[in-house]
Amino acid sequence: MSRSLIELNNLTYRFRRKDDPVLEDISFSLEKGTFNILVGPGGSGKSTLCRILDGRIPHLLRGDLTGDVFLEGKSALDLEMKDISCCVGSVFQDPETMFATLTVEDEIAFGPENLLRVRDKIREDVEKLLGLTGIGTYRHNLVWNLSGGQIQKLGLASVLAMEPKLIILDEPTANLDPASTSQVHELILSLREQGMTVLLVTRELDEFLAEADQLLVLDRGKLLYRGEPYGILSERGNDLEQRGIWLPETVEIGLELRRRGYPVDRIPVRVRETLELIQQLNLVSEGTVLTGRDSPTRDETASPLIDGRGIRYSYGGGLYALKGVDIAVRPGEMLAIVGRNGAGKSTLAKLLIGLNKCREGSLNLFGKNSRRWKVPDLANHISLVFQNPEHQFLTDTVADEIDYSLQSRGVNDPEERIRERGKMLGQLGLSEEAERHPFTLSAGNKRRLGVATMLVGHPEVLIVDEPTYGQDREMTRTLMTLLREIRDRGIAVVMISHDMRLVSEYADRVVVMSEGLKHFDGNPTELFDKAEILESASLEPTLLFQILKALGEWGVTCRGNIPRTETFIKLLLKEGEVSLG
Amino acid sequence: MAEHDLSYKDRGSVLNRVYPLVKLVWVFLIAVGLFLFTRPLSGMVVFLFVLFLALIPGKMRPGEILKSGLIVFGLGFLLMIFHFLIDPGETVWSFGFLQVSDYGLQQGPVFFFRLSGVVLASFILIWTTDTRDLMQSLVKAGMPYRYAYTIFLALRFLPLIQREVESVKAAHAIRGRAAGTTLKHRIILWQRYVFTILINGLRKAENTADALECRAFGYAPERTYVKRIAFRKRDMVLILFTLLLEAGLIAGERLF
Repeated sequence: MSRSLIELNNLTYRFRRKDDPVLEDISFSLEKGTFNILVGPGGSGKSTLCRILDGRIPHLLRGDLTGDVFLEGKSALDLEMKDISCCVGSVFQDPETMFATLTVEDEIAFGPENLLRVRDKIREDVEKLLGLTGIGTYRHNLVWNLSGGQIQKLGLASVLAMEPKLIILDEPTANLDPASTSQVHELILSLREQGMTVLLVTRELDEFLAEADQLLVLDRGKLLYRGEPYGILSERGNDLEQRGIWLPETVEIGLELRRRGYPVDRIPVRVRETLELIQQLNLVSEGTVLTGRDSPTRDETASPLIDGRGIRYSYGGGLYALKGVDIAVRPGEMLAIVGRNGAGKSTLAKLLIGLNKCREGSLNLFGKNSRRWKVPDLANHISLVFQNPEHQFLTDTVADEIDYSLQSRGVNDPEERIRERGKMLGQLGLSEEAERHPFTLSAGNKRRLGVATMLVGHPEVLIVDEPTYGQDREMTRTLMTLLREIRDRGIAVVMISHDMRLVSEYADRVVVMSEGLKHFDGNPTELFDKAEILESASLEPTLLFQILKALGEWGVTCRGNIPRTETFIKLLLKEGEVSLG
Repeated sequence: MAEHDLSYKDRGSVLNRVYPLVKLVWVFLIAVGLFLFTRPLSGMVVFLFVLFLALIPGKMRPGEILKSGLIVFGLGFLLMIFHFLIDPGETVWSFGFLQVSDYGLQQGPVFFFRLSGVVLASFILIWTTDTRDLMQSLVKAGMPYRYAYTIFLALRFLPLIQREVESVKAAHAIRGRAAGTTLKHRIILWQRYVFTILINGLRKAENTADALECRAFGYAPERTYVKRIAFRKRDMVLILFTLLLEAGLIAGERLF
């Protein structure tokens, strides 16, 4: 009997009225009870492939599809959607749009109710899943009052309730804080133990890669590699890096050591494996000192652009989103604000850009009390790049978007506008897209346009909400390099993020928020040393920091700032002066 | 996070417990009554009745009602002023070219209470009714569940749209003011505003429709309902009282 649950043979798919295939000649199978990971850069066709596997293509979304899809030996193209939905469960990228009812327990029951399961069995399953996902406390909550982590868990529970044989998870932790991410990770890994077949689309491979039975690598619609993860990393690791796929820091260390001629047969994935490799290669011994550059010192003398003391803010009902926060933002620094979902980060950002008014405590923005600023006037000094850049677009072309921002900043001379626009589009690599509608741009270019529209007025502070959201590694690097250049021009950059690796690599200073309070204000290296703060704010240190910490236990002294793997390797191989960042 | 204004909430109120279909019929009766009235007093009585229901048996806070209804009540007020000025009849007051007619003075409040009353009654339905229960009550009344569900999924979308509106509004505000502040420029901005919300709303709706199919919606002509809802005869008091009130007011208009 075949072990394959689902099998694709020479599958090619084109959207209607499009010549180029979005997926081309794809062949692979998912074996029963296995854990599979699908990776690929942005726009590689991952979500389309998920839609084929869960039957949405071709049953709901038409197009030109050739090749075969077999579900338990039967052609999925001949099955009806309702038959596929009994076997394949899909948790969408934004599970909130999946919800069809109002409360948590109703949502879990919705699928089994459609399948005509008996009432008692449904009740029993709902109880079990509430327990499994840890959202029992919120069973009567309205679905739109849940946090990001709870939404993901509910999405998963509502699909699991239908007892599918295959569960597809499309970026389930894309916008979660590290602790919620960990909880969802544990939940996903427990599914395989229950005999379920899992296909996970993710860029957060840190905790999954070592556990996967199969890694599928997709790029530009083609399945480049498939197989056991360690094998693919050993044979194709460099290629994956070049294609802009996020790889764990442990893998990056292994690949870099091999590139430098060290005998690395098996690329490490876990922290323990990396440490074993370092030991095996004799790269450190007791007494070794790894000295990074000193953490940047803060220029406390520069007068702050933003100066808040004891800020409290309530949306009503006696509950405070901020409970007395002090914050100062100075010119030319890159500040990260981190914390779990609902910690008060977004509320603080809204106060800084004037969308919320500070009524308790004091908040001075650019030398003036925040309550005396009007939002459009404040927009000349401080800009916010929204998580969803589409919300910010106001015109029909990329060029007009820049023009609008220039006009709103008082640039009324048409010639100057054309000059400034050309400069900005060129700087952000958007010149060729100038006449396109902003909504038709790729995710990465939408993000860049969002930044461009906010930069044209030369603000003194730029706030970026979740810079890595929906971005692959290359897009993120481009964006972060740009933000660093902006900082170097003396503009303060404030990024709100859950991505601790990003914070470690790019931020000069990090503010940790938890339960409406500021718990830490300092440099990232200091933060990772404070286990209590990390725990209280649901944060986790990066893999690199975990390696450094473990090396410390071996008697290796790690000094200064070692924010990224390149720096670490240079120090490890004693390659002289290491430049920070 | 700020709560969404147009969403169901179990306040443990009397109206929360009323059978959903009864509330739906009640909204219809309120609308019919308000469209039949020709005098402002009748409209005002029914509007105050609806307001009373929202505040006491519905346990809404005045602030909630005002916040959600501000735009509609404001529109109703403008409509009233409009009628004051454009309706024909004897001029009772004039200021320059502006003339207020006696007929306008009567029709203005009629339109204000008509619009405000219907909207407030609809808000009560949304605030006090779990859409799932509403769907189930329609299915019990004989409607195929696919249709019942499709109609009321729209109510499920209201809070999401509201959140989208807030995000877009905030994003547009921080883009600053472009040089053009003419009416034409403002209309163009509003178009963009609506466009963004519409596009994102359609995407969400498409996702939800796909999700329903992926979750076996429509798998069989029937489906199980874990929660049972039951019609209670005493729920009919709401309909009977409303019918009596409106009939009395219509009779009063005819007689006096």
